[in-house]
Amino acid sequence: MSFCRYLLAAACAAAFCQAADHPSKEALDRGQKLFIQSCGFCHGNDATGSRAPDLVRSPSVNHDENGNAIGPIIRSGRPDKGMPGFPLSDAQIADIAAFLQSRVLAALNSNSVGGDYPLQKLLTGNAAAGKAFFEGAGGCTGCHSVTGDLSGIGRKFQPINLQSRILYPGGARSTVTVTPASGKQMSGILVMIDEFNVALRDDSGWYHSWPRNQVQAKVNDPLDGHRKLLYVYTDANIHDLFAYLEGLK
Amino acid sequence: MRAAICLAMAFAAAYGQGLDPGALLRPPTDTWPTYNGDYSGRRFSPLKQINTENAGSLTLAWVYPAHNGTIKSTPLEVNGILYFTVPDNVWALDARTGRQIWHYHYQSNGGDHIGHRGVAMYGDWLYFTTPDCHLVSLHAKDGSVRWNIELADVKLGYFSTMAPLVIRNHVIAGVSGDVTDIPGFLDSIDPETGKQQWRWYTRPNSGEPGSETWPKEGDAMSHGGGMTWMTGTYDPDLNLLYWGIGNPNPVLAGSGRLGENLYTCSIVALNPDTGKLAWHFQPSPHDVHDWDAVQTPVVFDAEFHGARRKLLAQASRNGYFFVLDRTNGKNLLTKAFTETNWSSGIDALGRPVAKAAKDPTPDGSLVEPGSDGATNWMSPSFNPLTGLFYVSARRIFSEFYLTAEGKPEGWGGRDRNIWANSVLEAIDYQTGEIRWRHELGRGEGVAGIMTTAGGVLFTADNSGNMMVLDAANGRTLWHAAAGGRMENCPMSYELDGRQYVVMAAGDMLFAWASPEKH
Repeated sequence: MSFCRYLLAAACAAAFCQAADHPSKEALDRGQKLFIQSCGFCHGNDATGSRAPDLVRSPSVNHDENGNAIGPIIRSGRPDKGMPGFPLSDAQIADIAAFLQSRVLAALNSNSVGGDYPLQKLLTGNAAAGKAFFEGAGGCTGCHSVTGDLSGIGRKFQPINLQSRILYPGGARSTVTVTPASGKQMSGILVMIDEFNVALRDDSGWYHSWPRNQVQAKVNDPLDGHRKLLYVYTDANIHDLFAYLEGLK
Repeated sequence: MRAAICLAMAFAAAYGQGLDPGALLRPPTDTWPTYNGDYSGRRFSPLKQINTENAGSLTLAWVYPAHNGTIKSTPLEVNGILYFTVPDNVWALDARTGRQIWHYHYQSNGGDHIGHRGVAMYGDWLYFTTPDCHLVSLHAKDGSVRWNIELADVKLGYFSTMAPLVIRNHVIAGVSGDVTDIPGFLDSIDPETGKQQWRWYTRPNSGEPGSETWPKEGDAMSHGGGMTWMTGTYDPDLNLLYWGIGNPNPVLAGSGRLGENLYTCSIVALNPDTGKLAWHFQPSPHDVHDWDAVQTPVVFDAEFHGARRKLLAQASRNGYFFVLDRTNGKNLLTKAFTETNWSSGIDALGRPVAKAAKDPTPDGSLVEPGSDGATNWMSPSFNPLTGLFYVSARRIFSEFYLTAEGKPEGWGGRDRNIWANSVLEAIDYQTGEIRWRHELGRGEGVAGIMTTAGGVLFTADNSGNMMVLDAANGRTLWHAAAGGRMENCPMSYELDGRQYVVMAAGDMLFAWASPEKH
């Protein structure tokens, strides 16, 4: 459960990673190599456990700062659990600690679906089927053209953002026409509408608002087609459509 | 009568301005002594000074600008004093005027500051959970600290946001977690000493019934999540404590935890004296969408298809409304209360069956509702006079991605919200049919609900309007734009013959009442 996905990830990353103050790539590489050599056989090369526990979930690792918690364990071992000691230097322990913190961080960031999400994971659809959906059942050509507004769309957005935008793009504002019981009808960009009030910005930039119970308000939402398609799409339609539009370079 | 007076006098001597434990067993009128107002979780106030006839003239009694982050807590009201919270902070206000009596600030050692639901009270003492997963006991008189104990290790990803529940001499406290794979539990704490009385882990021990719902090998069960985010409910006659349990971990990646994953995403009944499990019902077996079942398990006695029954109802985050027999956890009704696209039907136990095709995938799977849920922590209400169960529902489309490679850790994926709007729904508890809907606007609503014997329902829309609706038909009777979004749950109390309703907008607390006669 999360109340607010991005805040939470940021808060946790901050809380957990005070110790891992951006170790260098070299330190991480050394730490990983050392870990695989000395620890990977039992704890798994990625530290997620094998015959010995998952260290990403280990209290000692989660409390560790630069090796202060895991160092003594590495050096003395846990003979009662069959773990031998490893005579490593302070610097080596610090490198292993940095590697383990990077594994903890990777777990914390496993909820990241940001703009850098890899294209190859998304590109599972059939572009030809996507084209057929675009021109047929999807009804996309009612508003869009791949030689017009969508020309080169595959270049314009990062892949996962393109997929999100296919489903529901941001930015396109609704317009509204307001008809008072008496007086002039007015149209403009919809600023807000709720149960009680409606507001618009007219062509000259002026703001106007009315109580809903004194006017007729007719909203035109250019994204209505996108919303309706959410009830129609199969996942295959979405992946096909993505493959087609992503290919428009 | 004489005995009652003697008892009251003895109590007054023992507790000063504190809480009479008997108030927890009565419907909330002059006192709102616990998170949901009473043990039932109905959020039903028997007060009717504000009613369908006069709600249109509701007016402002006072405002308290806390200006300390969004208020998500429900205040308690005891002997004319309100107690409310945001993370790390507790206030005591004069319930007549909104004037501050004291303010307590807790210096937390890190932890998640995502929100806070409020305090619990026992005698003269308040109980306050913290972002670094401690439980602090404060003197209600002045906010001074009596004791401070650790519930769980913040370094492992634990924190606590919930308002504890007091049952006799047990302070029942839950914990939260999110991105780390840690086990959830419920603690019973001695209100005087802070000593743990029992701990119930939300997963079985190896070899116990339920452990067969987890992989035999490995650490999936001992790191399987199941947080106890929200305040539970209680039936004094059955002496059963009802609690909604959180989602399993890793959150969206289920490959490392094949099985139903008990008691995650479950409603459980425990003996509050021992912490022993009496029964469970699981709304979302093997959840991979973050659809915890922590929404209030509402307790009421009512006719059900001709027979008077002891019922428990939950509008769950997965979009389904469940009615159970709360003596044994047997399912009586399961029905979707909002649009969903993830289930192929209901199984013999009354649980929705998930379509495997709607699990998160690397290339994305379009699911309704999204992980934020068809509803969430905001309070539902059951009104015995209308026989309707009210829930703040959402229609959310979200694209679910699986990121996990190798052994999943943490979330192992995430969804991206595509589109959402919100609607208040009045559900017939015997059939699950929606009697009326009241649209709340675009986006995800997070305002709680309270209904009253005055036939009215208090909530807010997504545009920052606090509202009173007619509980019988959903018609709007009153509204006020309060200058912020309501993210807490309404509560009510009567003082000096005047009924107050307190609701938050953003970081301010508003008290509404009928106009005063001068």
